[in-house]
Amino acid sequence: MKRPSVSPINTVAKRLVGRSDLLITRKSVRDSLVSLAGLIGRPVLDPEGLEIGRLVDVVVRHGQETYPPVSGLIVKVSNRKLFINGARISKLTPSSITLSSTKIDFEPFSRRPGESLLDADVLDHQIVDVDGLRVVRTSDLYLAPFNKEIRVVGVDISFVSFLRRLFPGSLSRRPTPDHVIDWASVASLTDSTGVVRTSSTRSALSQLRPADLADLIEDLAGREQGALIELLDPDLAADVLEEMEDDELEGLLRGLSAERSAELLSLMEPDESAEVLRDLDDEHRESILSAMESTTAKQLRHLVSFDEALAGGIMTTHILIVKASDSVAAALQLLVENRERESSDGVVVVDGKGKLLDHIQTVELIAASAESLVSELIAKPYPTAVTSETPIAEVVEEFSNNRGSSIIVIDEKNKPIGRILADDLVDALSRNRGLFSQGGVARS
Amino acid sequence: MTNITIPSGRKLRIAAFLAVMGPGIIAGLSDDDPAGITTYSQLGAQFGYRMLWVLVVSTFALIVFQDLGARIGVVTRQGLIGLVRQKYGARAGSFSAVALILANLGTMTAEFAGVAAAGQLFGISRYITVPLTGVFISALVLRGTFKKAERVFFVLSAVFISYVIAGFMSHPHWGAAFRGMVVPSMPFNRGAINIATATLGTTLAPWGLAFIQSYAVDKRLTRADLKLLRADVWVGSLLTGIIGFFVIVTCAATLNQEHITNITDASQAARALQPLAGTLAKDIFAIGIIGAALLAASILPLSTAYSVSDLTGSPAALDDKFEEAPLFYLTFAAITDVAGGLIMIPGVSLIWILISSQILNAILLLPLLAYMFGISRDKKLMGEFVAGNRALSLYGAIIAIVAICVAAQFWFIFNL
Repeated sequence: MKRPSVSPINTVAKRLVGRSDLLITRKSVRDSLVSLAGLIGRPVLDPEGLEIGRLVDVVVRHGQETYPPVSGLIVKVSNRKLFINGARISKLTPSSITLSSTKIDFEPFSRRPGESLLDADVLDHQIVDVDGLRVVRTSDLYLAPFNKEIRVVGVDISFVSFLRRLFPGSLSRRPTPDHVIDWASVASLTDSTGVVRTSSTRSALSQLRPADLADLIEDLAGREQGALIELLDPDLAADVLEEMEDDELEGLLRGLSAERSAELLSLMEPDESAEVLRDLDDEHRESILSAMESTTAKQLRHLVSFDEALAGGIMTTHILIVKASDSVAAALQLLVENRERESSDGVVVVDGKGKLLDHIQTVELIAASAESLVSELIAKPYPTAVTSETPIAEVVEEFSNNRGSSIIVIDEKNKPIGRILADDLVDALSRNRGLFSQGGVARS
Repeated sequence: MTNITIPSGRKLRIAAFLAVMGPGIIAGLSDDDPAGITTYSQLGAQFGYRMLWVLVVSTFALIVFQDLGARIGVVTRQGLIGLVRQKYGARAGSFSAVALILANLGTMTAEFAGVAAAGQLFGISRYITVPLTGVFISALVLRGTFKKAERVFFVLSAVFISYVIAGFMSHPHWGAAFRGMVVPSMPFNRGAINIATATLGTTLAPWGLAFIQSYAVDKRLTRADLKLLRADVWVGSLLTGIIGFFVIVTCAATLNQEHITNITDASQAARALQPLAGTLAKDIFAIGIIGAALLAASILPLSTAYSVSDLTGSPAALDDKFEEAPLFYLTFAAITDVAGGLIMIPGVSLIWILISSQILNAILLLPLLAYMFGISRDKKLMGEFVAGNRALSLYGAIIAIVAICVAAQFWFIFNL
């Protein structure tokens, strides 16, 4: 498991020092901080200072704003839990909340989309610290008036703050904002729908490398895993899935709907999704495949049927095929259309019957004149080809003999059906490493 | 193309089982620690075959709650203490953690005492055996990787076969043993209540419950592994009961027949076996105690360290380096060193540490089971694995039995 090399506390401390724009460092905000953990269970008062009830939870609304405003309070009034609109709050102190009018219209609380309960959903729960790239537990949340509303301004993740909450009386309510993360860099993943969709979180997450996101997801609890995936754009999510450990991914897919799984697996490289599907039980695999678009599903079914120890089991079927009679311009056009894919380093050339002739590098195509035909570029060295039934050991041998970055896979009629890239081979070998050596891998 | 055949599927499945195997068996068998063996020996020596049914009930309770713990660990991917903090608040989480630390410290002392006593049976001083044990378990956990540690745990588990051998060597009355398992009967007195509670408490130990959950998280088991993990937990818990059965029948067939009922520790039971079942039986029994102590002494600090890291919100794993998880390793070292140190103080009486840790375990067991009950029915946490009404009534019934035992014991403590 990769982790940041610097100790977490240092990372946060550095960030605190480095970022003067952090809201909680502003003096006006810092002086009016209120600890959420300390506030829960405290009295809610009317303008005369008479107790109306006790605070059960604080509801915040997530939207475009970086610091979510308090949209309401859940207050226990004579054993009933009632909702009070946040606009009614006139004064917030660490030990009580005063409302602006005596006449309160209580409503029974029902959760609305885009809202979360700070105590029930966030406090003491796991959250993702996007800047620090890790999963942490919330020790406290700080509220402060800012920009005309009371808002969540920071998330406290220090153990000291957690211990402070164990103390009796006002000691437990005193803010200790020494290790605070800005709300803007936190992905809290728990509301009724499972996701807190803050625009800032979403954009912060999309800045991360897929490999780092994959590590984060593997660290998360089961429910939150699916939630984080839902938060990502499908393309990024598919990249993240490719980076995850096989059995982690299998568990994750169980938590997602068949439709969502199908969508993400279609976006992944075919060989990677086939590998994942191969590990699933028959029923689960079938439910995902039947939710897919039929041509993709057919292609994947074919791939899944190959043995993992043979070339067919590790190849990707995504290859760009051009006829020898096509023009160089057409070949380049095809490459440009598929620039997102791994396969964009060249095209596979076939004759009129679809049989393999050559693999031509992108550079060669660029160097040639656009009007010339692809057939003019066919020359030695001809590409190495294996069949889908070739054992991996022989594929490795072919690779080391030819020093190429890929090998073409052909069927019995000499037609290209796929390609094995060097990294596919590395994946396949590292998966089987346990069979060859004892040391090295600490965890399977 | 609907007919997809997966090549060498069976082979893969066996390999998968071996990869998942472990947590259940290790957690289960480590409940048969020296304190457990002592309790079982007392049960057999004092009551013969009559109260074997208590072990049957305890084993059943162990299966049910280890299974639940494994499921919670896999589904929520959080340790028990972390979940208690999340669901029941900072104070509940901290109370559980502190009680667990103290109880584990006491139990750890008992494991070292077990090693020391068993070592003395072979004429080896405790000043040699105890430090050696400390070095062994520290090296195992600190120097090795996850896989290596697990392999050693497995080898240690194999030592438990010695109890089965000792059991057969004592020529028990199998008919009476079977009757004792299925016909519940017990005298209503303090001794019987105490031993019944102790049997329940030593079989269903709080640290075992915390361990199975954290271990499933550390091993990164996923929902796909759940079936295999549950099989593993069932096998492990059942084995725990079977080993306990053989310890009880050994003592019932020998010590109880000769009216030797004043057993206070497991090595005494081993010594008492010598004239009745031979020197070999004694040696085998003693080796079993050492193996049991080593296994439990490796798991206990681990369970504690997992729980502490879990409470603080920085989940740790065996594969982490010291710099990545200082708290995890410091907790491990503290538990091991303090417990080992206590044993090394010459002339110190350990009996109050052992008794108070047993009482603490009993007190802690109830809220922990209740928390697990609450977590199991929490739809938000458990999703599709949320417990149904039948499961809940089963959990409730077991919790009620534990509550009655604990209450009865307290009643005897404060009334006599």
